Amino acid sequence: MTGVYVVGAALRPAGRHYGENIDDMAAEVLGKALADAGVDIEALFVASSTTELVNRQQILGAYILESLGIDKIPAFRVECGDGSGGAAVTAAYYALASGEYGCVAVVGVDKPNDVLSNQQVDVYAAVMDTYFERYFGFTPLSHAALMAKMYLKRHGYKYEDLAAWAVLMHERGAENPYAYFRRRVKLEDVLSSEYTSEPLRLYDVAPLVDGAAAAVLCRDRRDGPRIMSVAVATNAVPFNMRSEYDTLYSLREAAARAYKAAGISPRDVAAAEVHDSLSIFGVLAVEGLGLAERGGALAALKRGGLRVNMSGGLKARGNALGATGVYQLVEVAWQLVGREFKRADGRYGVVHSMGGVDRTSAVIVVGL
Amino acid sequence: MRHESVPMYWRNIPQYYRLVAKRCRQCGAVYFPPALRCRCGSAELEDYDELPHEGRLVEYTVLYQVGTDFLKQKPLIVGLVELNGGVRAVGQIVDAQPDRLAPGTRVELVFRRVAVDGRHGLIMYGYKFRPVQP
Repeated sequence: MTGVYVVGAALRPAGRHYGENIDDMAAEVLGKALADAGVDIEALFVASSTTELVNRQQILGAYILESLGIDKIPAFRVECGDGSGGAAVTAAYYALASGEYGCVAVVGVDKPNDVLSNQQVDVYAAVMDTYFERYFGFTPLSHAALMAKMYLKRHGYKYEDLAAWAVLMHERGAENPYAYFRRRVKLEDVLSSEYTSEPLRLYDVAPLVDGAAAAVLCRDRRDGPRIMSVAVATNAVPFNMRSEYDTLYSLREAAARAYKAAGISPRDVAAAEVHDSLSIFGVLAVEGLGLAERGGALAALKRGGLRVNMSGGLKARGNALGATGVYQLVEVAWQLVGREFKRADGRYGVVHSMGGVDRTSAVIVVGL
Repeated sequence: MRHESVPMYWRNIPQYYRLVAKRCRQCGAVYFPPALRCRCGSAELEDYDELPHEGRLVEYTVLYQVGTDFLKQKPLIVGLVELNGGVRAVGQIVDAQPDRLAPGTRVELVFRRVAVDGRHGLIMYGYKFRPVQP
């Protein structure tokens, strides 16, 4: 089996980076990752969700490489909405596994704060079906709220149980130097925050942040955590025709494939970063990855047994859209070796990167 | 959005106005929004314009964070509706008090303005649902 290793990485603290252009922000973090790895790359994979919608920029990879003076190599852009990061890592993995390249880099970047907050809703709504969902004013938030209501009812939870997710994420984010929110919050803060789409409140919605993250991946160079497997699955069923609303179908499929290819089970997972763009998605992702039984994630959260999103997740680190999955890969890789984060108690970690409302999920298994 | 596309609106009018779906000639499965190929493998799908215009609310939410086209309408009530016969659709629920809605509430299709393009003045219409008065 071909080995693909994370030999270098860098993260940009998530935030509101008004002073930088998108290509420069990506180039800065990519340059740091290359210095960290100490290798030359043969190709660049760019994960970005909103470069056209927000920055009116295409061929972003070429402009990123221009900033670094890296000439002649190919640059590809991968777009799967807010799941672009995981998809780009997957594409980079395949490019290495094919034997075509020895070392490549993945850089994820998005700058949603270059537009006003209600324009951000327009931009993020582009992950919905543009003709039959976005047209009518629906957003990931409205559909997450419908799913949250059905999940809570079906499994006998109250909203207070779900509100504990945000509290936990803020607790974790407080310890992450790259997080946007580095402060703890109380359950009362969550419960008294405004409704965004009932039952979901402000604290159930991950903030859209400007962010950039980069990882350098090499084939057969045992110099860092190894990407054991990658898997991407798309959900071809429109929201209104789905048979179940209390599960992430695309994730379950991708997770089953990724675990099988890596030869591990959920019990082996010591570090996990999941896509909690909306709190309910984080909860469903914990179950989809098999880290809690179906309907059991909030009970596990209450018992204090959830070891996911040590970064603070999208809720506290921030949702950097296309960059998010690259952040997650780096966070899991670093947690396994105890760099920047407390060292995970085990050898394996897993990333869940999702685009839209369960439209596509990537699962990446990382191991030592 | 800054402005919508006229052809994009125009070509979807059968769905926006009348819920025109596709039905598989082989197995009878109905697809809304329309699909090109049935899950049974058949590519023989025909227009199906007989979806019932009445149904029941499965679940709903009140959405306060809306895009720029919907700022004047906020909050929006967004409901998952099961039409009589079993096909589901998501639609705005109008002429309704959120606290009087519940899963099972009977609703009917109505024709309403969806959004107005601020730059070109294009008015876009489509289906919404309202509770059936007892």
